[in-house]
Amino acid sequence: MLKTLIRRELLDNLMTFRFAAVLLITLLLVVANTAVLIQDYEQRLESYNDAVKMHQQDLRNSKTYSTAHLFVDRAPNPLSIFNVGLDKRLGNLIGIYHGFMPTLWDAQMHGTDNPFIAFFSSIDIVFVFEVILSLMGLIFAYDAIAGERERGTLRLVLAQPIGRGQILLAKYISAMACLLVPLILSLLFALLLLTRSMPLSTADFLRIAGIVLTSFAYLSLFYLIGLLISVATRRTGTALMLAMFIWGLLILVYPNLIRATVNPGGDIQARVKTAHNQIQQILDEYERERQKFLEKEGIAEEMSEFSKALGFYHQADVDPVTLTTYIESISVLSEIRPDFEKYIPVAKRYYNFVEPLATRTVEKAWRIRKQALDEIYVKQATTDRILLKLSPVGIYDAATQAWAGTDLSGLRDFFDASRRYRKIIIDYLYAKDAFASREWFVADKGTVDWRTLPQFTFQRSDVGINAKRALPDLFLLLLINLIFFTIIFLIFVRSEV
Amino acid sequence: MIWHITRRELYDNLNSLRFALTTMLLLALMLTNAIGHLREHPKRMQKYNDAVSESMTRMASHTDDSLYKLAQEGPGKLYKKPSSLYFCAAGGDPVLPDTIEGGSPFGYSEHLRGVWKLKYPDANINMKRVGPDVTKLDWAFVIGYVLSLIALLFTFDAISGERERGTLRLMFANSVPRHIVLIGKFLGALISVSIPFTLAVLINLLLISTSNAVHLNTEAWGRLGIIFLIALLYMCLFLALGLLVSARAQRSAVSLVILLLIWITVVVFMPSTLASIASEFSPPMSSEPFWKRRNQIQEELWQKYSRWVWSGKVDKETLTGKSEFFIQDAEAEERLNQERLTEKVAQVQHARAITRISPATLLQHLLESFAGTGFERHLQFVENTHRYARQFREFVADTDRSDPESLHIIGVREGMTKKKILPEAVPKFEDTLSLSKDFNTRATELLLLVLFVMVLLSGSYLAFVRVEV
Repeated sequence: MLKTLIRRELLDNLMTFRFAAVLLITLLLVVANTAVLIQDYEQRLESYNDAVKMHQQDLRNSKTYSTAHLFVDRAPNPLSIFNVGLDKRLGNLIGIYHGFMPTLWDAQMHGTDNPFIAFFSSIDIVFVFEVILSLMGLIFAYDAIAGERERGTLRLVLAQPIGRGQILLAKYISAMACLLVPLILSLLFALLLLTRSMPLSTADFLRIAGIVLTSFAYLSLFYLIGLLISVATRRTGTALMLAMFIWGLLILVYPNLIRATVNPGGDIQARVKTAHNQIQQILDEYERERQKFLEKEGIAEEMSEFSKALGFYHQADVDPVTLTTYIESISVLSEIRPDFEKYIPVAKRYYNFVEPLATRTVEKAWRIRKQALDEIYVKQATTDRILLKLSPVGIYDAATQAWAGTDLSGLRDFFDASRRYRKIIIDYLYAKDAFASREWFVADKGTVDWRTLPQFTFQRSDVGINAKRALPDLFLLLLINLIFFTIIFLIFVRSEV
Repeated sequence: MIWHITRRELYDNLNSLRFALTTMLLLALMLTNAIGHLREHPKRMQKYNDAVSESMTRMASHTDDSLYKLAQEGPGKLYKKPSSLYFCAAGGDPVLPDTIEGGSPFGYSEHLRGVWKLKYPDANINMKRVGPDVTKLDWAFVIGYVLSLIALLFTFDAISGERERGTLRLMFANSVPRHIVLIGKFLGALISVSIPFTLAVLINLLLISTSNAVHLNTEAWGRLGIIFLIALLYMCLFLALGLLVSARAQRSAVSLVILLLIWITVVVFMPSTLASIASEFSPPMSSEPFWKRRNQIQEELWQKYSRWVWSGKVDKETLTGKSEFFIQDAEAEERLNQERLTEKVAQVQHARAITRISPATLLQHLLESFAGTGFERHLQFVENTHRYARQFREFVADTDRSDPESLHIIGVREGMTKKKILPEAVPKFEDTLSLSKDFNTRATELLLLVLFVMVLLSGSYLAFVRVEV
């Protein structure tokens, strides 16, 4: 019996004009946007490759350790086509050196493109789904029960020996089967375009599968919202109006309304100020130890002479807004004048003392900065995201971002890797005894050999980790689905025809 | 007869669920908009005023020193004045730079510095914000997205619904001409959507104008009037679209599906997708060739003038050589900066021109222009700074010329007047907006919008006249 019902519903749904229209428009929008997105991705990839090449060239041109330009670049994420998240917005270029802790708040853009283009909002596949799938779900559901009630066929169906739950289930299954067609078909087209222009790994396909699964849960939720309206109303006209207004509210209005009404909480200025003072103290302590060393070596008095000999440039500072802490001491000179040759042993000792000290100081400051950054930037963003999750769009967006690896954690993975790379570089410098070498500050007797320098590699996080980040939201979606279905069932069972 | 039909439609609508929902939704949105503006605008003005006064103080310290210092350091940072109608259309203003730098002379050494030039900062994408992306809740959003959707929801069943119920046949049996019926229906829908919208707008403006935080002058009220009329025109467009589809479709459910899909494509997707496609063309000069050209020009000038630049002599020839070097160098860089800006602007303009197919973009552009925000406004600001830069340079030259003891060699200390200058005498930067100019630049878009409305209205008339019951 259930089978007969499903077949009837399926035929009813498939043969309608709305199905054809929805299918057509979904295909059109997804394919058109995918083509644009792929082009955009390729451009970003090209700009990334150029940047990597340029930075390698820069490094090879650096003759001494202290003037080395070591930069790492973040490659664009191919899955940003599905959900761009923070992939395009945050910086993708960061400097690596021992006197500085790289974070995403210090990153810059290597892109050479026109920043005014940021003026136009960019669209990804998930955004297309957000709008279209939700509308599809509601359009297919609003008259499912109310329509039959109006036409009087509901009475007929209920006269048969079938449970009311079965009727609901049949409607749900057949409608979902129908609605999946545009979703799957448009995704297939998108994948066809994707695989033609970029290689996707197995892991990427698994991530895409996760996105599809989440899209499915999202679609189902909107169908159930529509069904709930349909069960609860007497007339299709009313059901339709309610459905449309709820759609507008959830998709268009709420995500923008909530951000406009919520004030950034807490006194951020004060928090920045305390952290700034703490870091400044650490830097002051560093400066004192440096001065102590200079006095001990007996060059404190002839400092100007000493810095002239070394072409010395020294700076230790903390940014009052982003709390970026850096200690820089560079020797800008091509050769040592013969009468300054006497400073060489002192200079070697100086760098050998100061640079490890700078490394330690920055690491100490980092512990303070990390906490402060979390409180200043991350906490606010997390609250915003949680508030957004009151609309299914927020949950869907968060989950797909996690799958694609373009969410905040995914981006932070890269900067964690860059901090690990900094550690590796420091170890390498120690192993080479670079701080105490002549090549640290001058290249007149042999330049630095950069060929043995460890290379930076960054692998996007494992699918398992993506799944771990996405599953809570996915389960939340499924749970809401279940709750809605139960409510619909309860209302339908008690309703009079 | 028209009034009879209009009244009937009006009564029908006013008692409906959609009218109640519309009123609530629009009121909530406009209230949020007003409250947000009242909260943010004073901060924005404060920031602007602080920045301007800081710039002024810096300039005053330069005038205290000498005319030379003024000619060298320039007017400093020039700021874009925030519009008091920001709540109508934020128009990407958070992305657009709010300042242009008139200063930053190139330092060749501690004692040798060039003269000032204009420098255009890039759009400031906030790379530090890790929160989710949202659209600003301004009038442009409320009208562009919400009001257009509501207009469709009021008209999708205007004709197809009557056909379904069979009342269309009844109406045609009377001796009422069809176009009268259509106009009546159109007016009925127009009035019933206008009521909640006008109410929401009035409450929004009441809140904003009674507060002390925001001051609206006569011109601002004129602009608001124009914006309101544009909103009504935009609404008419979607009402006409709704009637057209409703007249053609047999069932109202079908009519709604068609309308929603059209709406999504035209309002939600077309602006962004078309902009992305269009911006692939005509990319601007990237930074590497830019710096290459910049260095090349500097090198050439360097070769030509280096024997004077490093010379410590103070005879007229050396000073003239130095001055020429500084001025030409600054001019060359300024020209290059401008060229690059023009290229970037051209790319955006292309994209903007193509997206005009979508009425939602037309509305966005119109609202931005009349609210004094957005891209066109930014270009106006750039133009204002150019005018000011000329004025400033003329002032320096004139002041120097008025002193007979001076050698009249701009850009070097020894060649310029040593007389005191009054800070009040220096021209101030005035960032102005003119309404008539806005009208002229936006005339095409306004006409395009009117054209869309006319086409859709006549389309719905034709469709309705030929309709069979």
